[in-house]
Amino acid sequence: MEQFKESPAMYAIAFGVIAFIAAQSFFFIVKSWKHGKELGIKRETLMNTVTSSILFSIAPAISILVTVFVLAKALGVILPWIRLTVIGNLAYETVAAETALNNLGGSLSKEITDMKQFSTVVWAMTIGSVFPLTFLPIVCKKLQKKIGGAVSKDERTAKMGDILSAAAFIGIISAFIARAINGCTIATEPVLDAAGNEMFDEAGKKITQKIITESSGALSILTLIFAIIFMLIFMTLCRKVKALEKFESFAMPLAMFAAMACAVIFSKILPPSIADFTWYEVGKAVTGNG
Amino acid sequence: MADKKNYFDRVHIWGTVWNYAALLMMMMVPVMMSIILKTWPSLNIIGKVVATLAPLYWVTGIIEVVTYVPMLGAGGTYLSFVTGNISNLKLPCGLNAMENAKVRPNTEEGEVISTISIAVSSLTTTIVIAVGVLAFAKVFSTASDNQTFKAAFSNVLPALFGALGASYFAKHWRLGIAPIICGVIVLLIAPSTGVGILMFVTIVVSIIGAVLIYHDLFFPLLKGIFGKKKNK
Repeated sequence: MEQFKESPAMYAIAFGVIAFIAAQSFFFIVKSWKHGKELGIKRETLMNTVTSSILFSIAPAISILVTVFVLAKALGVILPWIRLTVIGNLAYETVAAETALNNLGGSLSKEITDMKQFSTVVWAMTIGSVFPLTFLPIVCKKLQKKIGGAVSKDERTAKMGDILSAAAFIGIISAFIARAINGCTIATEPVLDAAGNEMFDEAGKKITQKIITESSGALSILTLIFAIIFMLIFMTLCRKVKALEKFESFAMPLAMFAAMACAVIFSKILPPSIADFTWYEVGKAVTGNG
Repeated sequence: MADKKNYFDRVHIWGTVWNYAALLMMMMVPVMMSIILKTWPSLNIIGKVVATLAPLYWVTGIIEVVTYVPMLGAGGTYLSFVTGNISNLKLPCGLNAMENAKVRPNTEEGEVISTISIAVSSLTTTIVIAVGVLAFAKVFSTASDNQTFKAAFSNVLPALFGALGASYFAKHWRLGIAPIICGVIVLLIAPSTGVGILMFVTIVVSIIGAVLIYHDLFFPLLKGIFGKKKNK
């Protein structure tokens, strides 16, 4: 049933997207190359640009690939593949998918098996991320001509832009960190009888109840702490040890996987009373909004 | 000078055409998937999600455009906004190429080098991801179904945002304190607050915090803006 996320038709869509990106990239390479020659830029300089850009991109591309696989558990491999190939950015895609699933009472921690949920996530991820494309051509030319020169010269404005972008991004990350510390997810699920069948009221309406489906607790907090520790260690090593400098872009995916490995180890070695501890009892019915 | 104007104008025309073609192509992805699955999302839920995400994404989108355009050049900007991963890949790659070629952003030479670099980077990334997905998808799928890994995959989000957060907090640790504390307090009061609403709160707190922490940078600007308004 879950094969719908990775059917041949889905692969065809992914290949279509790749063909588009390849065509656009080739178009701009050919046009720029031609103009570069007109300007008298040496062939050697242009070739060096190509080689260094390939080398520069391989490591971050592998880290993006890793995040495709991370999201693939819930969403199948095709959707994250497409979303992280076009516009995609791990943080935004995760936020969009999780927000959509929250509205449907689900979460990215579980595999999506419902087509409607999947379809909603696809639309949410797309609509959320295409916005810059709607106005970019309108403002790009004006910005480059009028503000462009000033911003690149004015360090103060550039610094303010950097800080505001970082603050917005840290705001996003903080919400997820707070949820890993003490959040829970409540979903509406059907009430089942002793035989495990769905129950209906006199009007024939399905009887449902709100239950806690997921909660933060010991394991989520430990994973969070270890992800931070691993990342800080890897970053420090990459900056202090000259031979490791080029591996800096691997630090994020490595820290993430190391923290996930810790979650497995803790779930095996810690007593169940600690490893399974959550702030809110998973499976418990609740009233109101929590 | 006339040639320079012509080249930049041409890049903007090409960029505009490719940009809107990409927008159309992007929108076709959910349309095609919904047709294939014969399942359309309810407008009600999409409306809710867009209402939650739009203020966040769209404000960030505007900030990104204003921040990146001057650094990437025209061709580089059009390519980067379609292929994504700007701050972690396209921007450093383009800047690195311009530095290696000893050309400056916003010059015609800079435009050529930056565009080639970002286009090559987009192709490389697309190829690496495609090859990786095709080669390792099956292996990954088997591993993730294993019960032993359940604890790992249930904790993907804490692992991901812990690692991502650490890299940002290392640079801007002062900015992280207020939004995290605020997020935790909101969740203590209402533990099941959805991530969309929570994020809105933490972003507002984070930006206010940033303006206060870097007041020496922001206050003269705010003073200038409000001063001008008063004068009017």
